[in-house]
Amino acid sequence: MTGSGVENGTPRSRVLQLGVERPAVEVLEAGEGAPLVFLHGAGGVPAWEGVLPLLAGQYHVYAPLLPGFGQSTGLDYLQDQFDLFLHGFDVIEALGIERPYLVGESLGGWIAAEMAALRPRDVGRLALAAPIGLWRDESPVEDLFGHMVHEMVPLLFHDPTGPAAQRMLALTQLYSDKDDRSEEQIETLIALARGFRTAAKFLFPVPEHGLEHRLWRITAPTLVLWGEGDRFVAPCYAEIFGEKVGGACVRMIPDAGHLIGLERPQPYADAVLAWGRGER
Amino acid sequence: MKFSWFHLMPYRWLPHDFRERYHSVWVDVPNALYDPVRGHGLYNEYLDMLEYADEMGFDAVGVNEHHQNAYGMMPSPNLMAAALARRTTNAMLLVLGNSIALYNPPIRVAEEMAMLDVMSGGRLIAGFPVGTSMDINYCYGQNPATVRDKYREGHDLIMKAWSTPEPFAWNGTYTKLRYVNVWPQPIQKPHPPVWIPGLGSIETWDWCVDHAYNYSYLSFSGYKRAQKMLDGYWERLTQRGAEVNPHSCAFFQQVCVSDTDAACEREWWPHVDYFFNKCLHLYPGTSEAPGYRSEASLRAGVVAQAGNTNQNMGRNKTWKDLVDERYIVAGSPATVRQQLEELARSLRCGHLLLGLHIGSAPIELTNRSTYLAATQVLPHLRPLWGEYEDHWWPRALPAAERVVAGSYNTATRAATERPVSTGAAPNGRDGGDRPEEVRP
Repeated sequence: MTGSGVENGTPRSRVLQLGVERPAVEVLEAGEGAPLVFLHGAGGVPAWEGVLPLLAGQYHVYAPLLPGFGQSTGLDYLQDQFDLFLHGFDVIEALGIERPYLVGESLGGWIAAEMAALRPRDVGRLALAAPIGLWRDESPVEDLFGHMVHEMVPLLFHDPTGPAAQRMLALTQLYSDKDDRSEEQIETLIALARGFRTAAKFLFPVPEHGLEHRLWRITAPTLVLWGEGDRFVAPCYAEIFGEKVGGACVRMIPDAGHLIGLERPQPYADAVLAWGRGER
Repeated sequence: MKFSWFHLMPYRWLPHDFRERYHSVWVDVPNALYDPVRGHGLYNEYLDMLEYADEMGFDAVGVNEHHQNAYGMMPSPNLMAAALARRTTNAMLLVLGNSIALYNPPIRVAEEMAMLDVMSGGRLIAGFPVGTSMDINYCYGQNPATVRDKYREGHDLIMKAWSTPEPFAWNGTYTKLRYVNVWPQPIQKPHPPVWIPGLGSIETWDWCVDHAYNYSYLSFSGYKRAQKMLDGYWERLTQRGAEVNPHSCAFFQQVCVSDTDAACEREWWPHVDYFFNKCLHLYPGTSEAPGYRSEASLRAGVVAQAGNTNQNMGRNKTWKDLVDERYIVAGSPATVRQQLEELARSLRCGHLLLGLHIGSAPIELTNRSTYLAATQVLPHLRPLWGEYEDHWWPRALPAAERVVAGSYNTATRAATERPVSTGAAPNGRDGGDRPEEVRP
């Protein structure tokens, strides 16, 4: 099966064993071409949706899942943020690829930026979609761990009435006080909690660990994308990335909130693909 | 059977429309609602209640730890215990916080608890809760994915610091110390009894069994709703081959005693209503950070819903509901006696923590309740479980050997306040140039 995943929306999945007592990594992949590694946000990759199928039209897209997401394990092995960033390179090495195009969203955008700062020669190109990792007291990043689902929706979406926003809103029924959930709902809830535990390990209580201090180290050509209507991580952070990463290009996406891929996948993909061709 | 008088120390003046206007009683409740001058009176009134419980013969007085919480104004339980160490003489000091992972380095807990044990003549019960997610994650910023591991490491360090007679080095994941050498050391050897407050996870039960600690189940929903949970506890102890000793378990129950059942409702309802409908106004968005509970506990909780969810927190219930469902044990001394005996026998618990102050109750009402409990209720229940030895109780110095606060001043006052001597100075020089003593 090569490339056909693009059309039918079904990526291939495989699990990489990184070594004895080290993490196992589920990798979703689709498409053909140069390698593009996609680092997901705190919601994981529940479906091959958003920007992913569009990127897979022109790249061989690899979407490794963090421990706690899908079949990936080994959170305990990643003791601190630097273990997490080095783990990203372990995965790239295990995939047998070199200097990939690294694309990250939100949490994944932070990891991608940190990786590019840590080992600049090993990242070919970088696209960050509303990355977290910076902090300004006057514009605090919203609390990912201190809201109920129905409160998160207007923070994450430009249009809370859109289909993706409504799908997220439907999760509220899982958090009922009553003991009336189906097996499937319980498993969904447990899976969400497992993924959020991973996010919390690196982002709780304040998602800032010194990235700004390291941004100058990034040498990969860097594209920064931000939803104009991002109420979760305010667009002012786009400017900071633009100023501090040498040669970075900042593109604002209209009618998009924080989850650009779910609201405006086409302009997002167009920008990433154009950046990949070296267009500014 | 033993009885501890346990205080939460709620703030008394939350506005009447608190639930409508504010998010939660905890974490982000604006501190503009707190009036420190009123707070001055309230702390002293509350400490008087605890001191009265000591006078009335309660076995222990209890305090706990909460942060940024309008129903629990003891961010530092040790400060309260220190005040009580001086002003009580017989009651043990049940300190059901310190949340070990909050203290950096954790030997601070070993030091302060040793101070309390020494000051009080060995009356300390050392409570080591992990702490609620509101307290430790949302208010104190501990990482939910690692905080239990940090708690366990801190516990091991404290225990080693209390049992090692010379300096040692500690190379932990969360704490690194070249010289651990805690002064003072507790009076109680090998250490004060340890009680672990929990909410019903198997991991916590196993932890208590492994270390022979007391398990304290603290719930606001009363003894009937705790039955299933504590059945699980005893079952686990049996599975593990541990002694099924009622004193290994403590249970918190809110109690109101008045002269009659009717008087109880009339006198206590406003304060009970204040507690269940204002003090327990919690925001679910900050009730539990992801990773705070293990996946196994989460799974068990999702299925059984055994914890303190909003649904079973007693909100919007009438006095009759709360009494019938035993969220509170309330009524005349005879009613309370009968229900507490039922509680003790059904849960098999040898330590009862009585919440004899509730919500906005003033001291007259509370002390009357304390008095009636001490004189009309407790004497009938004390013989329960007498056939079991209590391994979880302080081994304090004998009462006669404990120093009473102020006694050194009393003993030396006559000597220190004697008139200034006008004779030759002790070093032999003439003291004649000193001013004349002013006499009253």
